[in-house]
Amino acid sequence: MAQFTSDPVGKSVHRVDAVEKVTGAAVFVDDVQFGPGTYFARLVRSPHAHARVVHIDASRALEVPGVRAVVTGKDVDARIGLYLIDRPVFAGERVRYVGEPVAGVVATSEEIAVEAAQLVEVEYEELPAVFDPVEAAQPDAPLLHPDLGEYQVASFIFPEPGTNVSEHFRLRKGDVESAWPRCAAIVEGTFRLPQIQHVPIEPHGAVALWEPSGEVTLWTSSQSPFAQRDLIAQSLSIPHGNLRVVSPYVGGGFGGKAGVSMEVYAVVLARAVKGHPVKLRMTREEEFVGTTVRQSLVAHTKIGCDAEGNLLAMETAYYFGGGAYNDYGVNIARAAGYSCTGPYDIPNVKGDSYCVYTNQPIGSAMRGFGMPEIHWGIEQIMDQLAEQIGMDPAGFRRRNCVRTGDTILTGMEMPAIDLVACIDKVTEAIGWAKKGAPSASGEPSRTTPHKKRGQGIAIMWKAPAMPPNPGSSAVVRFNEDATVNVEIGAQELGQGAFTVAAQVAAQALGVPYEWVRVSAPIDTKYSPYEWQTVASRITWSMGNAVKAAAEDARRQILELVADHWDEDPDDLDVKDGKVISYRSEREQPLENMVVYGLPNENFEGWKGGPVVGHGRFMPTYVTNLDPETGQGTRAVVHYTVGAQAVDLEVDTETGQVEVLKIASAYDVGKAINPDLIMAQIEGGAVHGMSSAFEALRFDEAGRPINASLVDYRIATSVDVPREIHGDFVETPLEDGPWGARGVGEHVMVQTAPAIANAINDALGIRFNDLPLSAEKIFLALEERREEG
Amino acid sequence: MLARPGLPSFDYVRATTADEVVRLLKEHGEAAQLAMGGTDLFVRMRDGFIRPQVVVDVKHLPGMRDVVYDGQAGLTVGAAATMNEIARHPDVQAHYPLLAEAANSVASYQLRNRATIGGNLCNGSPCADTGPATLVLEGRIVLFELGGEREVPAGEFFLGPGETALRAGELMTAIRYPIPPAGSAGRYLKLGRSKIGDLAVVSVAVLGFPDGTAPSGYRFRIALGSVAPVVLRALEAEDVLAANPPGEQVFALAAEKAVEAASPIDDVRGSAAYRSAMVRRLTRRGLWEVWDRLG
Amino acid sequence: MAMHSITVTVNGSREYLDVPSNLTLLQMLRDRLALTGTKNGCEAGECGACTVLVDGEPVNSCMMLAVEADGREVTTVEGLARLYGDEDQLSPLQDAFVEHNAVQCGFCTPGVLISAHALLERNPDPTGEEIREALVGNLCRCTGYLRIIEAVQAAAEKGEVSDGPVYL
Repeated sequence: MAQFTSDPVGKSVHRVDAVEKVTGAAVFVDDVQFGPGTYFARLVRSPHAHARVVHIDASRALEVPGVRAVVTGKDVDARIGLYLIDRPVFAGERVRYVGEPVAGVVATSEEIAVEAAQLVEVEYEELPAVFDPVEAAQPDAPLLHPDLGEYQVASFIFPEPGTNVSEHFRLRKGDVESAWPRCAAIVEGTFRLPQIQHVPIEPHGAVALWEPSGEVTLWTSSQSPFAQRDLIAQSLSIPHGNLRVVSPYVGGGFGGKAGVSMEVYAVVLARAVKGHPVKLRMTREEEFVGTTVRQSLVAHTKIGCDAEGNLLAMETAYYFGGGAYNDYGVNIARAAGYSCTGPYDIPNVKGDSYCVYTNQPIGSAMRGFGMPEIHWGIEQIMDQLAEQIGMDPAGFRRRNCVRTGDTILTGMEMPAIDLVACIDKVTEAIGWAKKGAPSASGEPSRTTPHKKRGQGIAIMWKAPAMPPNPGSSAVVRFNEDATVNVEIGAQELGQGAFTVAAQVAAQALGVPYEWVRVSAPIDTKYSPYEWQTVASRITWSMGNAVKAAAEDARRQILELVADHWDEDPDDLDVKDGKVISYRSEREQPLENMVVYGLPNENFEGWKGGPVVGHGRFMPTYVTNLDPETGQGTRAVVHYTVGAQAVDLEVDTETGQVEVLKIASAYDVGKAINPDLIMAQIEGGAVHGMSSAFEALRFDEAGRPINASLVDYRIATSVDVPREIHGDFVETPLEDGPWGARGVGEHVMVQTAPAIANAINDALGIRFNDLPLSAEKIFLALEERREEG
Repeated sequence: MLARPGLPSFDYVRATTADEVVRLLKEHGEAAQLAMGGTDLFVRMRDGFIRPQVVVDVKHLPGMRDVVYDGQAGLTVGAAATMNEIARHPDVQAHYPLLAEAANSVASYQLRNRATIGGNLCNGSPCADTGPATLVLEGRIVLFELGGEREVPAGEFFLGPGETALRAGELMTAIRYPIPPAGSAGRYLKLGRSKIGDLAVVSVAVLGFPDGTAPSGYRFRIALGSVAPVVLRALEAEDVLAANPPGEQVFALAAEKAVEAASPIDDVRGSAAYRSAMVRRLTRRGLWEVWDRLG
Repeated sequence: MAMHSITVTVNGSREYLDVPSNLTLLQMLRDRLALTGTKNGCEAGECGACTVLVDGEPVNSCMMLAVEADGREVTTVEGLARLYGDEDQLSPLQDAFVEHNAVQCGFCTPGVLISAHALLERNPDPTGEEIREALVGNLCRCTGYLRIIEAVQAAAEKGEVSDGPVYL
């Protein structure tokens, strides 16, 4: 092997999957070949936002040559869900959003399935619909789920049956009422964020095969093969051991491929045509409304500080527009509740966070999981408070940001982090308060300059939001030549999970990085358990499991060689693929012995055998929180914190914003692979920037009007900043592998408010609502020109 | 509601002569669609807006992709010439840089390898990028039918959203651009929601040139995209510029007249109010930029 | 629906296929030739994941019919290395993508590589701005594009040019 990297942890080794991906060899779910027996499916979707399904007539569709089955809610009486089991597989008597599947057609070709799906006749009786989460939370709002009280729900989720509130999290700390009079400055605002979509470049796809024997295999593009197995098995009463989920490379997830969305349809449709693989692909247009989206939010937030700039009180109500089904979304509202202050030490807090049903696409996990939404308002208010008391916004944040050992809002002690160092790094990198002149490029020579330049800063925190006990496991196996196969259940979404797994295994085993292979695709039949690849938990949790598995294997090797050499295992080590003794200075290559063991003297028998290491990790210390106050010993496993600063200019003639530079710094605990972290920081900054300009839009009847890449624009190569400065600090996490904690989501959490703060710096205008469209900015400028 | 995967079934016919095309159009009527690049056609077929039974590929007809410049007659662009073929053609770059700029503003490089000027204009879309340029360059659309061809001035070609002077049974074969006025300079300014590559929310083409017969000594032609049922000339604005010496006040007045010529609507890409304001800004900006080049 | 017998050269191999009128070039490559490196991301000419070379020029293969490829030379990501003479070695561009960590999920990568290759063929020494403009039709949601731009620049600096399409 050409390259040989010892002790790879902390080094920017190449990705294990890079060569496959640049040659077109990497397999994604739509690339898997199933042969001529494959059938294809198409879903029939509701054209109404809220309606009663009166009658479905599939007879014309069934007459189309090549159609093999039509499945409706009548055939599948099942609900599915992660934290709240509220979602029928196919709508039964009621549809709750435009695009909700009411039936599925299976045919011998996709073309036939598409044509036949148009012939399924569905009679609806329209019901009043509601789209705004605050309206939907009112007692007289149209009720989406009259049966909410009967749904199964996780112990830490609190729905309010008889209303559209699927989760209400309460946070009570100190006494806000007595604190307000002591404030020298109070800022209050209402902030709105629309639903947005993940837009992975790979649309969702699934193939299911239901064998006549009852064995079921599902091939999906999934962040959660094991959670999919669990949820689908429960929903359809399949023994877990009979359901196998295989997930090849994921072409971008960002939360959109977490949990179960469209995959269950492939399974129920395959049940109707046993023995044939059934392939279901989402078109790009379906991707926008037929998978999941980021929830909308209306935030009413009020924060106050004293004359020295010390934060004293915060009162906030978050209304998440969860869409039609909140099975995953309830936990976003919960996460927003227990982190409702953002990364600040505030002594008096009253927070209410609601997840509310609305007649919109299903809100679910998206990169940041509630944090980008709440930081949008918080980080703008912090700037306004700083301005009111005459403090520099960066200094105001340094004064108030959360620090190691603080008792944070839930009563938990803050694990070690250094947010101040992150603020220092980004202000330094952006040239804080030394803003440059606006560019004059492209302007005709004889017109007045029309660009304004601005700088903004925003900070963030985020904890992995998950059940208290999500586990990871790993297996490390040696091959004859001492190359290693690492088996994990964590998924490679582009973030670099496989590379991290290989680095961790190589480091803990004492073999070169290049000797390690990661067993893929992830296959619940052969891969060890992993809860989900979400929450930026993989480097930490999977990393711990892989490290434990590698240490188990290493221990087996050392014990074998120690026995062979008659030495103490504590005197031995594995270095660069060899066992060495610090005492006797003997050496033993791993080759062969890790499979065949070692012979006794004169070959009088053998000792050892194939080395297989097992490891697992599960946090055991997270406690439930008091339902009335949100107080408890340990709300979450840990937090990752960070800061971003933005330099931009606004074209006052058009309202267009050009982000010139973004500086980011996060406390990653330990950089297992510094360049992969930088890649996350860059990609996240652009994702965050893009999200500030994105919105899913609907007409008054709740029909999507921009569900295509023509009208839902994401950042392209010409839109991105010329420079993204990435940096990190390393304050070790107590239970992270070498101290590492996750950073994949955090890198986009506060970009939008940092941009809003910079726009305010440039123009003196605040925007409380996303998106920051050029039109909105221009019209606000016009309004001011008219006033002024 | 949502686009389907794949294209619905149809019969593809690769036509080799214009006569054959016209015969097929007569035979199949509305069930036939002509295809050049297909970049709009295929999308509309997936969206379910149209469902032709026959798709006639006309880009292989003789001359359909030719770009020919003649110092006397001007430029003839085959209707099936792609945006890239137009944008990088040395004669277009040398004599019709405004047309090159407009063609180059369409979507992405790879799409411009398929998208054609004929397809762009035939759709009758108010956001067609080559529309405003063709208007100010006073192109003439060549339409073929059995027994001969006719030419329609660009100003009379666009009739409404999706409607053009193209009659049933006719085929657009080329666009003929006269030699631009001596000393002219042009600019195509396009505002999209992203920096480049988007459909125009508003676009403005400006062509200016010295003209001794105008009281101001100059004439300007201005055409607008995406702000009316059709791409259109802002003739009153042009009159203002012919009558008054160029400068900030006159440009502002002309921009105002351009706004009056527009009749934008609210849609998913922008509001009428924003579009009107952008017509004002882009017209003024375009006039200054052209004036800089003339000066 | 009419079927058409076509002859297409794909990555140097001559293929004889019977295709229905409505089969796109993308579907032909993926479903008929199992060349799944070319990706389907939108079927609308917007995302660029399906970009391939046809007679050396990049096109969105979802926006072209298979029958239109009759007699043409198609190069997909699987054939990119071959254009530089050795199909078992990464091309300089592919190599630069690995070196610069310009790959994350990898789904846009094949289309990006094809667009970038075509850019370097027509402009061996592009500016950053020219690279950005050439890639505007290739959406990437993971990387933020900067590393892609750096990788293309690095490949350009190496100055290796392809042998061009290899006609049989």
